[in-house]
Order: sequence, then structure tokens, then C-alpha cells
Amino acid sequence: MPVLLRGVDRAAFAVAFVERLRGAGMAAGLTETGDLVHALEASPPVSVNALYWTVRVALVRRQPDLAVFDRVFHSVFGDAPPLPLTRASVPPSKRDDVHLAVPHGGDDAAAGGGLPWATLPPAVAAADPAESPLHTPERRPSELAALAERPFEELDPQQLDDLADVLRATLTRWPARRTRRHAVDPSGRRIALRATIALARRTAWEPVTVVRERPVRRPRRAVLLCDVSESMSAQAAAYLHMMRAFTVVAEAEVFAFATSLTRLTPALRHSSAREAMARATASVGDRFGGTRIATNLAALLDSHHGNTLRGALVLIASDGWDSDPPEKMTAAMSRLRRRAHQIVWLNPRAGAPGFAPRVAGMAAALPHCDHLLPAATFADLIAAMRHLSV
Amino acid sequence: MNSPEDVRLRLDAVDYLVDDGLAMAVYLSLRMGKPLLLEGEPGVGKTAAAKALALALGTPFIRLQCYEGLTAGEALYEWNYQRQLLAIRLAEARQEKLADADLFTAEFLQDRPILKAVRHDGPQPPVLLIDEIDRADDEFEALLFEFLGEGAITVPELGTFTAARPPIVVLTSNRSRELHDALRRRCLYHWIEFPSPARAASIVRRAVPGAAEPLIRSATEFVGRVRALELDKAPGLAEAIDWVSALAALGVTDLAEDDVPRTIGTIAKTPDDRLAVAAALVAARQESR
Repeated sequence: MPVLLRGVDRAAFAVAFVERLRGAGMAAGLTETGDLVHALEASPPVSVNALYWTVRVALVRRQPDLAVFDRVFHSVFGDAPPLPLTRASVPPSKRDDVHLAVPHGGDDAAAGGGLPWATLPPAVAAADPAESPLHTPERRPSELAALAERPFEELDPQQLDDLADVLRATLTRWPARRTRRHAVDPSGRRIALRATIALARRTAWEPVTVVRERPVRRPRRAVLLCDVSESMSAQAAAYLHMMRAFTVVAEAEVFAFATSLTRLTPALRHSSAREAMARATASVGDRFGGTRIATNLAALLDSHHGNTLRGALVLIASDGWDSDPPEKMTAAMSRLRRRAHQIVWLNPRAGAPGFAPRVAGMAAALPHCDHLLPAATFADLIAAMRHLSV
Repeated sequence: MNSPEDVRLRLDAVDYLVDDGLAMAVYLSLRMGKPLLLEGEPGVGKTAAAKALALALGTPFIRLQCYEGLTAGEALYEWNYQRQLLAIRLAEARQEKLADADLFTAEFLQDRPILKAVRHDGPQPPVLLIDEIDRADDEFEALLFEFLGEGAITVPELGTFTAARPPIVVLTSNRSRELHDALRRRCLYHWIEFPSPARAASIVRRAVPGAAEPLIRSATEFVGRVRALELDKAPGLAEAIDWVSALAALGVTDLAEDDVPRTIGTIAKTPDDRLAVAAALVAARQESR
């Protein structure tokens, strides 16, 4: 049977293909490259389909990468002649018994593809000097305290950044859950048999000291949903800072929504605050549009991130203005209620005097929430975080 | 097994149908001696793949079900403390002197699934299934690295056990959390898609030989339609098979019969889903009339 890629240097092919994938944003390292070489040796491809599966099994290690992989694979092999490349499938006039057509990526180095050693790597831009760790804002606590009381819309970006640092520093304690794992602890109730026997080795196998253990407690998972629609435009920037604080400190999953749901966790996890904000802003496509809270909640429950909600602490930051019917909100919230451990709703209007949940969406959601907290100023946000950590 | 096609035929012989992708993944994992990490929605046959592989190869099947709090003592090995204590008391009664080395020997070692797979001495390596690895804590993944990378387990008191023939390892995950990159790097990966209606029908046909052909076709088609609804727990292939066998057991030949709504519990697993599926069934019946 004719074999594709005959006479091709497998290592060069693997490295070049992985380089393309990395260029397209997929994480693939040397282990995967080595695997691809071994895989091509173990199963010489006889058709593009077989080649596709060989390369995919060897290189792709996570489901979200599949889309990128498919795109790159088709851009490389999409123009390949109809295969399998048997002699019979080529008309006699075009038969070439000396060469075998193989897709190659060797001669388009100018476009950034090709063999990785053919071009010099692009120079890395110097880091933004404003982001250096030496930069410390000269702010007195009293001044920040006054700022924290002001509504979000009256703050300039620098003040927002300073207050965000305060916010992150506030988040020091986090609700815990009890795991089934045990760790040695003198105040524990259970006897750690393994450790006790190990210690008894020193005392002629007489278990003199009883070692105790107790369940390990771990931070409870948190999921944060933020409304970025038109009615929430004043709060959006501040909430983005709050989301970043949760992502960095509590490893929360964060989502922004207006008409559709966007997962911001990877964008906000960036170590540079400014870069994280820029990425998050760029990835939200429907900013300042209408609101469909119930639809987005249902979308989150149905997506494969729906499992992260199980036993989690769910925070929803929204004013409750919803263009979906309230019945839909009731359905979505009751599903969320059954799945989550605790639901906290942060409402920027809740702190205003005479506030009552008169908006239909808010009124429908309220029976399913554990707490409704105001969130119009940084002082409110800090209070909300303190509320969570007690 | 010497080609992906051969893998497909051998698994076919034990009534497990695979597509090109899974056949290639299994073949490469066998040839390259790397563990295979299978992910996919619940009920697409991840666990069944490992079982079928063991059956097709004619080797023992060792299963490790992961859960939160799983420790080395339950997955790798544990010392038999009771026996050790007895040995100590016995030595005392006989006025003998015991050394450490006397207490930490293979005699006092209890094999748990992974060590069992490593110490297996048969003509063929066993198939080890580490099921739902995402349920175990992330610390547990780190425990597996030595085993997955080198097929070896180190017992500090005894030495390193290395498998004579590295076991065939299959890991499954439901993606309830992201696995660590270090674990992924040590495995080959395959994402099992939910099969197309035609493939699903042929899989159900194999699993429930007694069911009527039109019933299988309409039932799998209905399950495919239900999957498009917004359900808490979308029915997978396992649920489709359960449903068809329930219908076959009741002697049903057509979805329009009265017994059908009573069997919905096999594909809808929450009260909300039950209502949604029942509504879809009514709609499907009206269409077929």
C-alpha cells in the first residue's frame, strides 16, 4: 500500500507542524513532538484521514485545542490531492512514478511558517516599564478610604487601579469545604495508623505516641458571573477588577455576560493587571448591549463548565434588568440553586435608600439567593468580600 | 494487533464498535506503550472501551475507580499493619530480635490496583483502567507520574518495582475539572465524540440483540433529538442502550405504544428532564401519526 510522506524526515515534519500549532496558539511541547515521530513510525499514514488521527492522537492533549488543531491541519493538508494516492487514482497522463506529492511547509518562511530554524525568532519587545514591581503608589490609607466611598463612575483609571489593589489585599480568607483526604494534625480525632506505626519504629515497635489526623479543608470553588450590559456600564470596569481579584486569589471561574456568555478566567489570570484588563476587554464581544440573564445562566448550566458550579459559591453581579421572561429566570435560578452551594447576588442598586426588588428578573431570582448585597462602591465590594470570608 | 484496522476488527469481535479515531488512538497507545487518556461526555463508552480492550486481548482487567480522597494506600500499595504488629508480638514471645528489614518485606505488602498491574506476571500485560481520574484530588495525579512515565512504582522500604511487561493503561475523565498538563503530557489523548445516529443505532443493535430494528432506529433518533434539548443530564449511549433494552423487555415494538412513557426514567435522570423528555415524546408521537 502506498504510504504518505514517504522519504520525508519525520522529525523535521513533526517539529515544523508543532511549530505551526504553537503559532496558532495551541500548547504543544517536545514530548508531544517526540510522540508524533514515534506515532508516524508505528503507523505510517496511508490516507489523509489516517494521518489526521495519528497526528491528532499524538499532539492534542485537551479538548478545547481540537478546534485550533483542526484549523491548522486543514490549512496544511486541505489542498492535498485526492487520497489515498494509489497509482490507479491518478490519470495515466499525470502519473509520476518518481515523486510522491506531499504537503510541505518548508518554503513559506516569510509567512511565519516553515521549519523553525529557517528564520530568526522575532525580537521580544521590552516589558512595559509602568508594570515594573518597583512602582508603588504613594497613597495614604485615609485617602483611599474616602475614594472607596465614591461611586464607580466618579473614579479615574488610576484610582480604580489603586482601589483594585486594596480589594485584592482584602481577599485573604475564603470559605472552605471539607475534603475526604486526611492530614496529620495533633488536634485530629482519627488515629493515623500509618504515621503511628512509622513512629513506633523508634520505640521498639511499641506505639508510644499516637499520631492523629483530621480531614483536610480546601477553598471552596467560586464562580463569578458579571453583567456587562448597557445598564451596568458604570460598574463594568470596577467589576472587572473584582473578577480579577477572585481569579488571582481564589482561583475562581469568571464569566461576563450581556447577550451572550464569555469565559474570562484565562484572560484575567495574566500576572500583569493592565494586560489582563486589556485581554478581558478585547474578549467580551457584546459589551454594553442588552441583557439576557436567564438565557446566559441556562447556557452556563448546560455548558461543560456547568460542572464547576457543583458545590460552588456562585456570585452574580447584576442589577437584575433582564429581557428574558421572569419564568425563565425562575427556572434557571432553581436549577442553579440545586447545583450550587451558595448563591450571592451583588446588586449596585441594593444600597440605595428605599430599594425594593421591583425589577421582574430580580424579584424572580431573589427567592433562590442566599444573600443580596449592595455593590455600588468599592467600600461595598470590600464589605461583600469580608462578608464571604467570615 | 498490528494496524488500526486490526484493532477495529478485534474490538468488533467483542461487540465494541470503534471509529477511525479511537482505533488509531488504541493502536498507537499499544504500539508506543503510552497510557491512553479518554475524555468525552458521560455515557459515550469510555469505560466500555477499556473493558472491551481487555476482552479482545484476552488479558486480566484491573480497575481503579477514583474518588475524592483517594490515597496511595488505596491506589498503589499499603503495608499490612495488623500482620506487622502480630509479627512483632510473635518475635517478642520467642525472644527473637527483629530488624526493620524483616517487617518491610513483600510478605507484608498489600497490592492495590496499580501495584497489582505492575507485579502481574502473566504472558500478557493486564489492562489497567483508572476510571474518572478527574474525581480524585489533584495531588493524586502527581502520585501517578512515576507509574505512567516509567511503568514503575517505588516502595521506599523495599525498592522499585518495574513491570516486566508494562501494563496497558487507560484513563478516563469527565472533565469536571482540568487535569494537570504534566499528566496529559504522559498520555496519548482522545476525545470521544457522541456517535452519529446511524453509528449509535448499530452500537445499540449490538448491545440489545433482542430489540426490533424499527424500534432501535426510532429510539436512537429520538435520543439524538432529546440531546439537542436543554437538559441537566443529556442522555448518552449508555442511557439509549438501557432504554432500548427496557422497551425490548416490555415487548414494545413502536414508540407510539402506551408503555413507552413509563420507561422514560431510563433516559431522563432529573425531574426537570423527565418533563422535557415527556413533552418531546408527545411531540414525536404526534409527528409520526
